[in-house]
Amino acid sequence: MPSRKKDEPGFSRRTFLKTVGAGGVAAGVLGPAQTADAQGARAVGPGAVPIQLNINGRVHKLEVEPRVTLLDALRTRLDITGVKRVCDRGACGACTMIVDGKTAYSCSMLAIEAQGKTIRTVEGLVQGTVLHPVQEAFCDRDGLMCGFCTPGFVVAAAALLEQNPKPTIEQARKALDGNICRCGTYPRVLEAALNTGGRRA
Amino acid sequence: MPERQQPPAQPAPPQATTARWPAAADRVHIGKPIERLDGPDKAAGRAKYSYDIIRPGMLYGRLLNSPHPHARVRSIDLSAAEKLPGVRTALALKDPSKPETARVRYQGEEVAAVAATTEEIAGDAVRLIKVDYEVLPHLATVEQAMRPEAPQVFEKGNVTPPSLNEEGDVEAALKGSAHVVEGLYSTQVQTHTSLETHGGICEWNGDQLTAWVSTQAVHGTREGTARALGIPQSNVRVITQYMGGGFGSKLGGDLWTVICARLAKAANAPVKLMLDRKEEHLVTGNRPSAYARVRAAVDAQGKLTAIDAETWGTGGAGQGARFPMPYQVYVFPVRRQRHRDVYINAGPQRAFRAPGHPQSCFVTEIVMDELAERLRLDPLELRLRNLPPEADNAQWGRYFKMGAERIGWSKRHPTGDPASGPIKRGLGCAANRWSGQGVPRSRAECEIMPDGSVVTRVGTQDIGTGTRTLVAIVTAETLGLPIEGVRAEIGDTNYPWAPGSGGSVTAPSVASIVRVAADAARQQLFAKVAPTLNVADPTTLVARDGRVHVQGDPSKGVTWREACKLLGTEPINAPATWQQGLSSIGTSGVQFADVEVDIETGVTRVRRIVCVQDCGMILDKLTAESQCYGGIIMGLGFALFEHRILDRNTAQMVNPNMEWYLVPGMSDVPEIDVTLVDQPERGVVGIGEPPVISTAAAVGNAVANAIGVRVRSLPLTPDAVLNAIERERAGGTL
Repeated sequence: MPSRKKDEPGFSRRTFLKTVGAGGVAAGVLGPAQTADAQGARAVGPGAVPIQLNINGRVHKLEVEPRVTLLDALRTRLDITGVKRVCDRGACGACTMIVDGKTAYSCSMLAIEAQGKTIRTVEGLVQGTVLHPVQEAFCDRDGLMCGFCTPGFVVAAAALLEQNPKPTIEQARKALDGNICRCGTYPRVLEAALNTGGRRA
Repeated sequence: MPERQQPPAQPAPPQATTARWPAAADRVHIGKPIERLDGPDKAAGRAKYSYDIIRPGMLYGRLLNSPHPHARVRSIDLSAAEKLPGVRTALALKDPSKPETARVRYQGEEVAAVAATTEEIAGDAVRLIKVDYEVLPHLATVEQAMRPEAPQVFEKGNVTPPSLNEEGDVEAALKGSAHVVEGLYSTQVQTHTSLETHGGICEWNGDQLTAWVSTQAVHGTREGTARALGIPQSNVRVITQYMGGGFGSKLGGDLWTVICARLAKAANAPVKLMLDRKEEHLVTGNRPSAYARVRAAVDAQGKLTAIDAETWGTGGAGQGARFPMPYQVYVFPVRRQRHRDVYINAGPQRAFRAPGHPQSCFVTEIVMDELAERLRLDPLELRLRNLPPEADNAQWGRYFKMGAERIGWSKRHPTGDPASGPIKRGLGCAANRWSGQGVPRSRAECEIMPDGSVVTRVGTQDIGTGTRTLVAIVTAETLGLPIEGVRAEIGDTNYPWAPGSGGSVTAPSVASIVRVAADAARQQLFAKVAPTLNVADPTTLVARDGRVHVQGDPSKGVTWREACKLLGTEPINAPATWQQGLSSIGTSGVQFADVEVDIETGVTRVRRIVCVQDCGMILDKLTAESQCYGGIIMGLGFALFEHRILDRNTAQMVNPNMEWYLVPGMSDVPEIDVTLVDQPERGVVGIGEPPVISTAAAVGNAVANAIGVRVRSLPLTPDAVLNAIERERAGGTL
């Protein structure tokens, strides 16, 4: 693997993550067996590499540099833009996807790491033109204003209800605590999550 | 958009109008809870924001920002960046040959820009640009800037000469008063933290520029961009179908659109330039800080006598920080404000939801509670004794009583919760006002097609407030159609001019002008239909429930489709010009807070907020209530968490992200009880700003009521609360 110094182009947080992932720095903290595995791994990059992503039940083939996040791969390479980039460092939840059944911040996961996993986004909740009950509930309760945080909230709420169809207020609050809204839709987002499937009285 | 100062007791004089709002009993859509039209697209992830749009052959732009708060650019070397494969163009944004314009005056100021085939390459290229800076002395805090020996960093001085507003003899009035409260009060710098950052996409077709911009003002962006590029405004089209929040920070032609257009021109390809989160915090505006040294007085009967405020604050580099003192709700017959703006080397302020008001409200309302404390009077009673005469837009007395009932004010204990244990509870309240009137130059057009379809076009934009839905509601109401029977086209400079969405002017401007346009289109249709119904006077016709018929006789009429068929091949296209009387000026509102404070940890938890608010005639109950929730939650952030922190030595922002710049999250949000007071006779008044104004003040008063110690600054962080308690033990603040 070609090494880069910190002041050279291409060195970034993500390059660093890749370096860690591929051996190098990580070797010092791994046990002997893992070290052997890591050293045996074929280093990829820094140029674009072909990858396959299973998104919303469809396999997409694309070429990305290993430093590209899952979020950016979807948004800039596949034009899947329901997921939003807001903080880009795992603090706001606007990029929330469901990866192998669990919510994940896709800004904090590399696209190459997501290979072989089942990825679901807000677009995948829609059946044809029919909205998912969670999406219906957000519209019905006005759980959205500018809408930029909405896809992340919708995905987080849908994931919660798949695990726990009848959450308590506290459980719903906790499940949605990883998402930030600046317009202040929280009371109605919570209402939507708790009343999915029911209409406003 | 700055509020026009208007005394609360003077509503706009009604003028002769032709278009009127329908009588309350006749309203089909207006005032009902109507789901926003773009909800499904937003919830499904189909809505394309500027950040989401990909144009064929599009490049990605990135900026190089100054790491220094104050420096002169000696040279910019773009050569290494330009040679990087994938880079199409690079621009220097400072000209080192002109020393004055080559200065940077805050961290994050734009120095150079690149466009490349991917965002990652653009990022690499920016790191290859070599800039030689002559680092200059900087000012990181208001205190540093105000020292006599401070380096003069700004041409006109670091501190502006004081501006004076004076009414009556303050010194004499203070001397003759029964009680005088003195203190220093302050509020912090708050950043807008819009979720969609500033920026957009620029695409040239010959000399025609199309720009998809995350903006609150498509027309303002066209004007500003054309001017900066030196091209005719007619050559620029700005489109904003969806935008992810602005709160006042996206009101005009921004430098980033201009840079993006220049990159696109130089690269001969469309370019997307969106700021990153750090840039967003540093350079796209903020609510200025506010400091007030106040002396306020009251007579023995609880009538306010005088207030004197020495105020200052910083809006960063070269921008003002004015806020009115006192806040213009309570009547201080004698008053004086001496204000100075202080400049420091930090990103300049921009309008932020109710500019000046939350600061002014916080200081004034805390002072009100302190005066009540001196009088041993219920602070609510002191407020009721000092309100201006009641008017349509000055209903605080009534709302205070309604809110007091809902929060349980009668059970409020005097300052300092006597309960044992570390958790102390308290109640507080505060009032707000805002103008929120329509902008008379607004325009719109309504088109009725021969097949019965309808479209209303307005060059406004929906910034999350529900404007698109309001356009459809008013059109459908006017033409007697279901909401789905009309189209609302907005967010494009190809549509008739409407103001930028700031200052709560959008709903009154847009709803009024759409009513006029749809009414004009309706009159034209009635003129076509009247002969076939053997009706001599078309004005006796009405459009209701999908029919056009004689008033009072639905059987004597035709269906909407039949009516429109009479148009033959020619649609009706009715433009509209402003008519007075469909909107009016001024809102009033109050908020109450119920808090608990842990005096061992200093943590404040807001349990409940009660809000009583009017906004004239309610157009959409659902979206109007959402505005109240949203304002309160943003006000809660201002009260408890949000704080742009600059390192006092380096002037670098230490929290330019979303894990340390804290905006409220789900678990921070209390129970919120909103009462919207409908005033159907007043016409439309905006409600964007009012709900954000008094939350922090109500919370501040509730915290003091809980812990028995006054915290005179925001945010009410645990350390601020613990420090205040400590100071009280050491000598007292009350």
